Amino acid sequence: MFKVRKVLTKLVIATTAISLLAICPAQAASNLPKRIISLSPSATEILYAIGSGKQVIAVDDLSNYPREAPMTKLSAFNPNVEALLNYKPDLIILNADATKALEVKAALEKLKITVFLEKAPSNLREAYLEITALGRATGKLTGAQNTISEMKSKISAAIRTGKTSKNITFFHELDDTLYTATSDTFIGKVYKDFNLVNVADPAATADSAGYPQLQSEYVIKANPKIIFLSDAQYGESLATLTKRAGWNGISAVKSKNVVALPEDIPSRWGPRLVDFYEFIANAIAKVK
Amino acid sequence: MKKLKSKGEESLLAPIWNWKITALSAALLFFVGILAISFGPVSLGFQEIIRTLFGLPGGLTGQDRTLLIDLRLPRALLAALVGAALATSGAVYQTVFRNPLADPYLLGAAAGAGLGATIAITSAGADLYSLLPIFSFFGAISAVLVSFFISGKFFAEPNSLLLSGIAVGSFATAVQTYLQQRNSSSLRPVYSWILGELTVANWQIVTWSSIYILIALIILFSVSKQLDGLMLTDEEAYSLGINPNKLRVIAVVAATLATATAVSASGLIGFVGIVVPHLVRGITHRVTNRGLLTIALAGATFLVLADLGARTLLSPAELPIGVITAFVGAPFFLVVLRKKRLVSQ
Amino acid sequence: MINISDLTVRIGQRDILSDINIEIEDGKWTCLVGPNGAGKTTLLKSLLGSMPYSGSITDSGVEVFRNHDRNVAFVPQQPQIPIGMSVSEYVMLGRSKRDGWGNESNQSRNLVADILKLTGLFGMQRQFVSQLSGGEMQRALIARALVQEPTLILLDEPTSALDLHHQIAVLNNIELLKERGVTIISTMHDITLAAMYAEKIVVMQEGKVLLHGTSDFVIHSPELKSAFENRINVYTLDSGRPVIVANKDLTS
Repeated sequence: MFKVRKVLTKLVIATTAISLLAICPAQAASNLPKRIISLSPSATEILYAIGSGKQVIAVDDLSNYPREAPMTKLSAFNPNVEALLNYKPDLIILNADATKALEVKAALEKLKITVFLEKAPSNLREAYLEITALGRATGKLTGAQNTISEMKSKISAAIRTGKTSKNITFFHELDDTLYTATSDTFIGKVYKDFNLVNVADPAATADSAGYPQLQSEYVIKANPKIIFLSDAQYGESLATLTKRAGWNGISAVKSKNVVALPEDIPSRWGPRLVDFYEFIANAIAKVK
Repeated sequence: MKKLKSKGEESLLAPIWNWKITALSAALLFFVGILAISFGPVSLGFQEIIRTLFGLPGGLTGQDRTLLIDLRLPRALLAALVGAALATSGAVYQTVFRNPLADPYLLGAAAGAGLGATIAITSAGADLYSLLPIFSFFGAISAVLVSFFISGKFFAEPNSLLLSGIAVGSFATAVQTYLQQRNSSSLRPVYSWILGELTVANWQIVTWSSIYILIALIILFSVSKQLDGLMLTDEEAYSLGINPNKLRVIAVVAATLATATAVSASGLIGFVGIVVPHLVRGITHRVTNRGLLTIALAGATFLVLADLGARTLLSPAELPIGVITAFVGAPFFLVVLRKKRLVSQ
Repeated sequence: MINISDLTVRIGQRDILSDINIEIEDGKWTCLVGPNGAGKTTLLKSLLGSMPYSGSITDSGVEVFRNHDRNVAFVPQQPQIPIGMSVSEYVMLGRSKRDGWGNESNQSRNLVADILKLTGLFGMQRQFVSQLSGGEMQRALIARALVQEPTLILLDEPTSALDLHHQIAVLNNIELLKERGVTIISTMHDITLAAMYAEKIVVMQEGKVLLHGTSDFVIHSPELKSAFENRINVYTLDSGRPVIVANKDLTS
């Protein structure tokens, strides 16, 4: 009798398990792509943060973080359909800003490869949505949600520390020809979270699409209190700024509030956004 | 072209055109075409490729088959069409304008086509496949006309025509850049268009571009024999039974249509119109326009080969095909320039 | 017979030719003479039929304008020289009228070979036309006209750019056409040569015909002298051929 009950119990459990699996096969193996190629440096960082790292077989030539990501010569901005095919992937994360992204996607889908078109988010909320979507696409939804909550709390903490009520003006330099980002851009909104005043905003025109090029005199006149250098990796620093004609009169240069942003931090919108926020908070603390 | 070495006195002249050359170039194109679709980052068995193409059993299946039929084949075909269009237009421009350096690219036609397309996209957000070729055609024709207007007369000195063509081309490019700056939301489709469709060619593009290009080429082939008359003065041509002005208009319109379509489909690829006609004329020792079909076939072969190089030389990255044609074409152009100076004393 | 009546050709604001009324006989050599700007070339082009005109030009009773039924050869003063084309190919172009463009029958190729020999160009057949000297180029043009087998040939200053040696050679080549019954109309500004070779002369000045008729008649008429401000002398050689020379010592 006892034996029969044991067998029966096992049978019930087995049947339930099997029927559960039968009902939701989507939750099983097929939603877990095993051969992912990431053609977006931000997506690469996110994939590894949410736990999909083991499923990634190749990343593009600009995906330099994290170190263990298998970097290849594949191009993020000029994707080569045939070269991608050679890796036999089952999911490709394609940057929507890539050349001919839509045509490449169409060609890949013809070849029965799933394509996730990753659009650059325009604000933090969209960034979190993209991370969730990536989690769903790679079967690591939980991992994505965890990553997001961690990001949210750390970013809030940074904002609390750094948010200022004073009118602190800043200039975010993209390159030495003085291209910058206005508050309409993702980068601009990050600074805005701290109530910083972007000197580029009045210079925005309808054509500049958020990235106007400023003139040297304009920056001098605007006299920002902090200068953030996105081009520090190309050699720009407080020293080079001082050499520019008229720049040693700028408040930020005089008080040495020139922040060299580390490579890639401002251009990746993955988990390292936290680093960006913390950097800004620190810079503001030095000004106070 | 070999002279007929008859026994005894050489009284019979060498034929003006030997159609064996044309047949040879067709065969070469076919061979190169097969070669092109056989190579790429993904290796496909040669035998399987042949079997798939001829519908025999034992061919490729699944992803490999899609790769061959939906990616490589349209791409090779598009390269062939564009190469034929550019080479033939170049040869026709050279005859009509009596200028061995004339080429749609150099006369500003290609840049004009680009400007036309930019205007279409920035003002109308035009549909890529239906309206663009028309806008780019008008852009191309306007550029050619303005080149002539600037250089002063219809058959200006070769060099002055070239200079005005370069000026017009630069101007068109500048206006194009300005329009793109002003409408940065359109930057993406315009940039994408300029780069051409060779990298992601599909059957839809091949279909519409082949319609325009083949129409233009057929028109040109049908008047090719009479085009020889344009190498003489108008009175001489007239006396030999040709209406020179009417012929010129037909030839330039058809050649510009071919060019504009090629530019729409493949972006700006230079030097094909210079290199290929001179190469064919140099090898055959003939300048007759009966060679137009051969020039078209040679142009197709040239570009298919260039595209093969673009795909394979720096794999997995792709070299822009214009780089390869310029690499071959620029030195070639200089050689022709030198020879012309020596010959026209 | 070519009949020209009330011919006026207007280009822009000017009448290049006005009220021309002459007849040109078939099978004879007629020479148009006169100073530069007299309208000789324009008259030639009108006779070709490629140029619009008011008035009438008829050849065997049919207006010549855009009439492609005629087989007329035109030898320009300055030809367009195609680059990279061989002499044989260039001369062969003349057969396009009879054979159609792009078709050369064996008969045509034989004819071209014969004509090349006749004009002394056979040995140069594979040379580029652009490499020919002035005299050779002129011979090539005549050769092309010969192979065209035309009924009328129009030559614009066929001898003007040549030295005497070549002038004579070219003129003799043109006489070959006359042997074939072709009507020859040429412009020339050397009147002595015109008188020597042509049967008829038409003297033009400022778009009008000053004087026309047989060579003898024209050479010895007083109007000819007045056309040159009376500063010419007309001598006659023993053979009876006239020689016209300029003489600055004469007063007008």
